[in-house]
Amino acid sequence: MGLHRGSGTDITGQIRLDGEDLVSATPERVRQLRGLKMAMIFQDPLTALHPYYTVGTQIGEAYRVHNHVSKQVARKRAIDLLGRVGIPQPSVRVDDFPHQFSGGMRQRAMIAMALSCDPELLIADEPTTALDVTVQAQILDLIVDLQSEFGSAVIIITHDLGVVAEVADDVLVMYAGREAEKGSADDVFRRPGHPYAWGLLGSMPRLDAARVDRLRPIRGTPPSLINVPSGCPFHPRCSYPSRVGGDRCTTEVPVPREIGPGHQVACHLTLSSQREIWAELAKAAAPAEAAPADTAPADTADTAETAETAPAQTAARTAAQSATPGEPGQDVTEVEAP
Amino acid sequence: MRRRRTLVVATCAVLAGLGLAACSSGSSSPGSGSNTGSSNSPSFNAALSGVVNPSTTKGGTLTFAMSSTPDSFDPGNTYYDWTWNISRLWATPLVTYKSCPGSCGLQLTPGIATGLGTVSDNGLVWTYHLKQGLKFEDGTPVTSTDVKYAVERTYDRSVLANGPTYFPTLLADPTYPGPYKDRSKNIMGLTSVTTPDAYTIQFHLQHPFPDFNYVAAIPQTAPVPPDKDTGSNYQLHPMSTGPYMFQSYSLNTGATLVDNPNWTQNEDPQAKQLASKVVIKLNQNANAIDSSLIAGDIDIDAAGTGVQAAARAKILSSPSLMKDADDPLSGFLWFTYINTKVAPLNNVNCRQAVEYAADKTNQQTAYGGPYAGGAIASTVMPPNIIGYKSFDLYNALSQPSGDLTAAKAALKACGQPNGFTTGLAYRSDRPKEVQAAQSLQAALARVGINLQLHGYPSGTYYTDFAGSPNYVHQHNLGLDMGGWGADWPDGYGFLDEISNGNSIAPSGNTNIEELNDPVVNNLFAQAANPSLTQAQETAIWPKIDMQIMKDAVILPEVYAKSLLYRNPAVTNVYVQDYYGMYNYAVMGVSTSAST
Amino acid sequence: MITFIIRRLIMTIFLLVVVSIITFAIFFLIPRLAGQNSYELAAQYVGRNPTRSAILQMEAKLNLTAPLVVQYWHFLVGIVAGTHYNSGTSITYCAPPCFGYSFRSQQPVWPQMMAALPVTASLALGAAVLWLVGGVAIGVLSALRRGSIFDRLSMGAALAGVSLPIFFTGLIALELFSYKWQLFPNVQWVPLTTNPLLWARNLVLPWITLAITYAALYARLTRAGMLETMNEDFIRTARAKGLRERTVVVRHGLRAALTPILTIFGMDLGLLIGGAVLTEVTFSLPGLGQFTILAIQNQDFPEIMGVVMLAAFFIVVANMLVDMLYAVVDPRVRLSLWRCSRSATCACSSVPTTAWSRRWTGCRSTWSAAARWASSASPAPARA
Repeated sequence: MGLHRGSGTDITGQIRLDGEDLVSATPERVRQLRGLKMAMIFQDPLTALHPYYTVGTQIGEAYRVHNHVSKQVARKRAIDLLGRVGIPQPSVRVDDFPHQFSGGMRQRAMIAMALSCDPELLIADEPTTALDVTVQAQILDLIVDLQSEFGSAVIIITHDLGVVAEVADDVLVMYAGREAEKGSADDVFRRPGHPYAWGLLGSMPRLDAARVDRLRPIRGTPPSLINVPSGCPFHPRCSYPSRVGGDRCTTEVPVPREIGPGHQVACHLTLSSQREIWAELAKAAAPAEAAPADTAPADTADTAETAETAPAQTAARTAAQSATPGEPGQDVTEVEAP
Repeated sequence: MRRRRTLVVATCAVLAGLGLAACSSGSSSPGSGSNTGSSNSPSFNAALSGVVNPSTTKGGTLTFAMSSTPDSFDPGNTYYDWTWNISRLWATPLVTYKSCPGSCGLQLTPGIATGLGTVSDNGLVWTYHLKQGLKFEDGTPVTSTDVKYAVERTYDRSVLANGPTYFPTLLADPTYPGPYKDRSKNIMGLTSVTTPDAYTIQFHLQHPFPDFNYVAAIPQTAPVPPDKDTGSNYQLHPMSTGPYMFQSYSLNTGATLVDNPNWTQNEDPQAKQLASKVVIKLNQNANAIDSSLIAGDIDIDAAGTGVQAAARAKILSSPSLMKDADDPLSGFLWFTYINTKVAPLNNVNCRQAVEYAADKTNQQTAYGGPYAGGAIASTVMPPNIIGYKSFDLYNALSQPSGDLTAAKAALKACGQPNGFTTGLAYRSDRPKEVQAAQSLQAALARVGINLQLHGYPSGTYYTDFAGSPNYVHQHNLGLDMGGWGADWPDGYGFLDEISNGNSIAPSGNTNIEELNDPVVNNLFAQAANPSLTQAQETAIWPKIDMQIMKDAVILPEVYAKSLLYRNPAVTNVYVQDYYGMYNYAVMGVSTSAST
Repeated sequence: MITFIIRRLIMTIFLLVVVSIITFAIFFLIPRLAGQNSYELAAQYVGRNPTRSAILQMEAKLNLTAPLVVQYWHFLVGIVAGTHYNSGTSITYCAPPCFGYSFRSQQPVWPQMMAALPVTASLALGAAVLWLVGGVAIGVLSALRRGSIFDRLSMGAALAGVSLPIFFTGLIALELFSYKWQLFPNVQWVPLTTNPLLWARNLVLPWITLAITYAALYARLTRAGMLETMNEDFIRTARAKGLRERTVVVRHGLRAALTPILTIFGMDLGLLIGGAVLTEVTFSLPGLGQFTILAIQNQDFPEIMGVVMLAAFFIVVANMLVDMLYAVVDPRVRLSLWRCSRSATCACSSVPTTAWSRRWTGCRSTWSAAARWASSASPAPARA
């Protein structure tokens, strides 16, 4: 969305929205598109909403930027939207300030604000992190409902695999700012091809497994983005460079490689090696047996940020259904500058 | 109490018979007096001897600026030179001083009276006759009861606390409570002032007092209509008997005066009504006044005590500015009292040692140098006092940095060959005096006289400290700094309170040296003899001066001077010797369109 | 809200009483403790020729022999109800607030102060507008262009502005613009009602001199506040909505950064109206500051007392107004003023308080009204 501009980040490649490249577009053009065609909801709605303006004003403002209407019309729209996102008594609450809402309601209000101009793309940055589980479920349901109602594409950025499994159609796994694996949710969860994905799935506690003494984290710590490891950025934490011939893992950056229909992996391991290793892991992770935990007390990484996701992130993409008829396979990538 | 200065220059007209040698010493001091009323083109000190920019042009606005506020614009309630000077714009006393440059300006001349007062044979009754047809600003006629009332109201110090107290001291009814309390009973109740008819007024004294005309010249005799008197509020709009009257007056900001339509030249021949408006700005920043003066935004610095240090440096270094500057004597003497009761100064030789050992040049520098400090002094009376004679007993002029040999000899003679220790009192909130005290300490230390410095606040210096003989004795204050300027320009006015034996008082003492010399006392008594002629009386003063110096009870330091600047746009500018500043009653502006 | 105002008013009055006691004590108690008796005190207030009877008369007139508490009581009563004053010719009534009569000029103090107030108010308000607008603008621009030449220059100039004393800047300004180049000749006070143009023209130099010092401070404050605010999340949200950068900076950024600035502004203005001493003395403006200096030089106690009380009044009122203003500006503060917690017996579970309106949408309160009054604290001062 161009919010990073001027912060010294290096963006390469293309970002195309509706066929239009955003990386090379002028800042003014990007600004026009913000809110109109692409909207964002942020992680912490309390700090993301301006404390001095009422929710109605802020939503109205978002609406009036791209539509020249009067304040009264914008207010009506705000009340409308608040009702849609499930806030009770919207005509009363529209004049409340953000600090007068509860956490879940604030996030709903954010969503309402993002949807005020019917954007084609909605980006949700960890929308449920600040909320408890029941509210989390409500918000996710809301997003899914709105997505089908408004017909926009949604990119949800999260570290919570449960959320991914719940709502995602497509999944993009990122590590150190690069794509690690991309595919349908089904592919990534059942037949992951990247060691990082294996590690993520393997580290999740399972309800149907017997009680294990230890969880199995990915050994090592997330890399500093200033000094990204050479070659494959995951190689210091990967258990399988030995299966790759020579020292390709340390010298050569892996390029995403198609291993199935719509399923890409960026790893030097051969397809057969991947399948082999995954089969082993799947068996080992089967219930009633707990594989010896890795002796890596890499807990410091966990305390640093949420789980082991920073800077690696998993992106789930819900395929656009009716946003742009006749244009399959839109390529939209959001790069989150750390 | 502390008086401000009044200047006096040898009155050559009065001393017509005596040689003019008795007049100014002929040094750089002004007042040679020969050019009375002649005009001078602008040059340095031109206004001392002649009128600069003489003119009769009317119109325009004359602007005064003052760095503080007056103690009062009520003529009966003020005790400053500049207010006595400027009050002639709206208040004319019985007699006043001649408006002319040089020593001519020391002469008394009738104000609202027809002539100077005449005294009865026993010297106790003075009679004045008022001019007829004089009016206040509202057209009501001026009568003798107005003058009596003006004198009466000064008796109540709880209402009017500021003016001098000559009348209660000299007149025969000292316990009169004033017309404010018990008004119906006390108004016109001052028995020592009688008004036989509407144009005659008589003053009945307790003792003969030949200088009474000078007392009548004080603004307290300017008439005040009893029904218009509002006591302490009268200052806001005094009823004018001068060329101007108050249009508006805001206490802390300023006053505007306009022509008094009911004034005639006859009312005060010494004043002029030239400018059509007079503006007095109060509470102006002192340095800003100087800059405005030089820039031409204002006309006169009303204080008349000279420019501040910054402007002084500018003026003295610029010939174009120097030609518009004057450096008159202000009539003040800065000096140090040498007490006669604090040992070992009770021995005249020890006192003389102090006189010899002081460094006069350094004292002059401490007070501001030759232009702003003054001329080195060797007598008690400054050159512009009637009766001044120049003499120099202790080589102050010939050896201004001190005569150490003679000092040491004097110390030996008084039995203190190695010097002695005593205290020096001074006012610690006056920077010049602080510096002078330190300089004196350094100078006397050269012969072994060690001074312990004691600084006191000037507000209570005379009531509680130096002016209290008990305190002086208890704290060994053998030397006390001071300054003096008389209320009228003759020897009596200058010398009486500081050297007459009967002036010694337990508090507020001005004879701080506690001199009680029978020679001096007798001379004063002689001078009070009503049968003396003016010339005979005048001849006595220098004798008193000489005796005081022989007794070595006063160490004269400088005859004060001030550097004044005159705005070239102002007309009729000259120094009136009585005030030591420009004569405010005669000035006008040259362009009628000046703001 | 009303209870808040009332409570603050009571506190104001209490503060003023305390101030008056302290000032009174300084002038009368301390000399007593130092051994000075009422006779000596009266001697200070008599003219230049204090005879003994004059001093005694002054002592009686000023009531200096009465016990201190009595004197103070008369003074307080005078402020509220006026005093009858024997001025010699008649008994005059000094209307409330009566701060007595100047020892020196025998004129009532309150009218003198009221005459001086418009001068100080003109000076303070004019300069305040200048420094607020100028300082904030420079601060915002510096924050946006952080590190640029403009930023460095302006912060350097700000440092200079804060460091140079007012009398220095003022005198230089006078010397150059008034005397030398005659751009503003004859700087003196002209009342607004007399000649508005001249009033403004003569005040330009004092305004600028005063504003330079304060603008510097405000520029730095605004810059710091803006730098911090522009990093906030809601700025990112505003941009994400597609708002123009200018709107983001002003409506979102500045609005949030301004609250501490406004607080300080209120305090500064309150202090300044009590007397901008240095500026007034430099430019010879007859305002409260000059009045104060002269009163102190003359040791004119009633005038000093009056000025101290007036200045204290302005400061305390400014304090109160600033507290209220804070509630207006920052809605998060409002709730604690008029608390309607869900636990209280109050059926207004989510009563909105838009601005100062109290919309009692069916809110009943029984004992909770008293409870609310007792429990509502003044808003936590979140100001810098």
